[in-house]
Amino acid sequence: MNKQKFTKVITKYGTMITLGLIIIGFSLFIDGFVALKNLANILKQIALLTVIAEGFTMCLIVDELDLSFANIACLSGIISGGLILAGKPTIVAIIVPLLVGFAFGLASGLLVTKVGISSLITTLAMSILATGLTYWITGGVSFYGEMPASFLMLGRGYFLGIPSLILIMIITVVVAHILINKTKTGIYLQATGANQEATKLSGVNTDAYKILALIICGVAASFTGILLTSKLGAANPEAASGYMMDTFAASLLGTTVLSIGLASPIGTFIGALMIGVLNNGMTLAGAQYFMQDIIKGIIIILSVSIASSQAKKLAKN
Amino acid sequence: MTILQTKGLTKRFQGVVALSDVDFDLEKGEIHAIVGENGAGKSTFVKLLAGIHTPTKGTYYFNGKETLFSSPKEAMPYVGLVHQDRELIPTFNGYKNLFLGSELSKIGLLDNAKMKEQCERIREKYKLNINLDKPVMELGTGQQEMMTILKILFRHPPVLIFDEPTASLSMQESEILFSLIKDLQINGFSIIYISHRLPEVLSLANRISVLKNGKKVITLENKGISEQQLISYMISKNLEAQYPKIDKEIKDTIFEVKNYSCEKENLHNLSYYVRRGEIVGFAGLVGAGRTELNLSLFSGPGKNTQSVFMEGTPFSSSSPRESIKKGLVMIPEDRRGQGVIIGMSIKENIILPNMNTLSTRGFVNKKKIDRFSQDIVSRLSIIASSNEQLVRTLSGGNQQKVAIGKWLGAGAKVWIFDEPTQGIDVETKSEIYKMLGNFAKNGAGVIFISSDLRELTEIADRIYVMCEHKITSEFKSPFVANDILTKMIGVEK
Repeated sequence: MNKQKFTKVITKYGTMITLGLIIIGFSLFIDGFVALKNLANILKQIALLTVIAEGFTMCLIVDELDLSFANIACLSGIISGGLILAGKPTIVAIIVPLLVGFAFGLASGLLVTKVGISSLITTLAMSILATGLTYWITGGVSFYGEMPASFLMLGRGYFLGIPSLILIMIITVVVAHILINKTKTGIYLQATGANQEATKLSGVNTDAYKILALIICGVAASFTGILLTSKLGAANPEAASGYMMDTFAASLLGTTVLSIGLASPIGTFIGALMIGVLNNGMTLAGAQYFMQDIIKGIIIILSVSIASSQAKKLAKN
Repeated sequence: MTILQTKGLTKRFQGVVALSDVDFDLEKGEIHAIVGENGAGKSTFVKLLAGIHTPTKGTYYFNGKETLFSSPKEAMPYVGLVHQDRELIPTFNGYKNLFLGSELSKIGLLDNAKMKEQCERIREKYKLNINLDKPVMELGTGQQEMMTILKILFRHPPVLIFDEPTASLSMQESEILFSLIKDLQINGFSIIYISHRLPEVLSLANRISVLKNGKKVITLENKGISEQQLISYMISKNLEAQYPKIDKEIKDTIFEVKNYSCEKENLHNLSYYVRRGEIVGFAGLVGAGRTELNLSLFSGPGKNTQSVFMEGTPFSSSSPRESIKKGLVMIPEDRRGQGVIIGMSIKENIILPNMNTLSTRGFVNKKKIDRFSQDIVSRLSIIASSNEQLVRTLSGGNQQKVAIGKWLGAGAKVWIFDEPTQGIDVETKSEIYKMLGNFAKNGAGVIFISSDLRELTEIADRIYVMCEHKITSEFKSPFVANDILTKMIGVEK
């Protein structure tokens, strides 16, 4: 294998190789890591992270940022829990919060494309707005109570022996992958992010695709909030706020998978998997919670910097 | 039959006339070349034709009908413009780029096989050798250019415009392009071809139009014309600007570059020198390497260099900051982007590089600052309502004065000016010439990069010509503009 080929392989599969090495390392040193049940556990743990991160990935693909998704998820979880505990039908408790996520995404999209505010600032404001609404509704307390089985199915149920959360995650990743790689919409989302001017000149309404990406992100966040309420059987105003950093981490790690520097649904899934494996392995190994964050931080920096330095080398050739 | 015609086409940008009263016509199936110096208005003209700009005045006929393209998208079915910034999505492969905006799909999913097949068919038709499966960023410049052309051909506009298509191509790639263009002509396309390279133009075109200072000089049938003849039409003989004569004495060498190479900028073994009291001009076409050479020297030729000398001692520098400290200052070509900070006031811009002398123990000294900036504003007669005025709101000429003024306190020994008079009114031009002269008179060396041959020959004491990243010749006053232009274009007599 010559040097350039080696570089190419490292660039393309570096993150996956790292993931493989971590899994092998954990399997050798930690009892019970490989057990099938534990792997199912890991997948269940990353299911919600994957769903919300796939939404965020859409924003990265159109070259925008979203800082509001975690707080939209909190708000949606609360609305969903509130409705179900107020005795509304399950379908209402799902549709209404999804519409809220849609509205947030649409509003951000319009502000970014039509008013021209940067997405960073727009979604930061949206995130504060969502937090405000959450505390207005809850007064700062969690909602507990008896929830109907039809609602709890979402986050706790099984289908054909597979946990519903894992199924939902798989469906989300597959749908996102097909959307991005196999449909016109996906091509336009990618092209908008890669070279907006050229895409516009090709007759594509690039604004519409930026709005679409922010809407998908909002809806995915809401869906995550609903799933979280169902999984916990309660609605907590801060339940989803922890997804902010892990989503960034998963999506950023995702940009080092397959094609360097580009976000992709599969990449994001691998990124989420890496985080899940690290969390799980370190917990089993008895590492303290702060050690987990430190090690996660270091691994992200290493992985991303290896990939980007290799990408630079490739670009030079 | 005339397919495209303009009458009195005029374009002004913020009061500056870029194109004035151009009458032009393109016959169906002909190759019509447009030649002219930098800034003659060629690019503005084709941008008007392709709907990128809208004309200030004048009419535009397409197939005999009066037309106005208000956006590139509207012009697309009629006029295809191949220009230097290639409009491709770097991460997409060939056929995805080609079909962008008109993808084929089957039950909602992309029909990649069919798109690829159609793409291959067009590729075959024009006998283009392009890899359609690789992301275009992995292709060479020649293939990327072919891809751009293929993308435009795909929409089949009857008129094709090539704006300096060979600028970044190798000889071999250029040859392929020429045969493609001739092929396209046979296939019935009408072609407008813009180039600096006269031999290309003479071998391809049916007719040639010459632009000069935004006006059309003449349209010639390409029969028995020589390069020299074309050049004589291209050179401006305007005497609008005043060229002040400043008595100065040329002394010993102050800055010297000996066999300097810079891999990154593709510069190899270049040598030149500047003496105290001397203005040294750099002539060349866009992309000849004048900016790259001088900017790489200013950015720092490195630590242990034995090829750059300031006042006889090796000049080692690894950053603009270090170069400035050692007496080398550059006023960049991109005035608004690099020369000044347009969102800050005149005063703030001027004091920025002089903060060390204007502050006491880290605290700014308001009195000193006011005195200092006022002094420079009046020395350069910068016209503004106050020193607090934002640079954004100044005219181009005054912005340039600010860009120069901020270095007056730096004690520069060698000044590099990159296109200092571009987009500046005539009066301010003469003021800038005077500044250059005075810097030299006070014992500095001045390097003057310009695409305006007239001003170079009037202001410089000596002129280097660069062509394709090499210094190809050196001229001493008195200058013969035709000889210099011939060298710039790289034509052998």
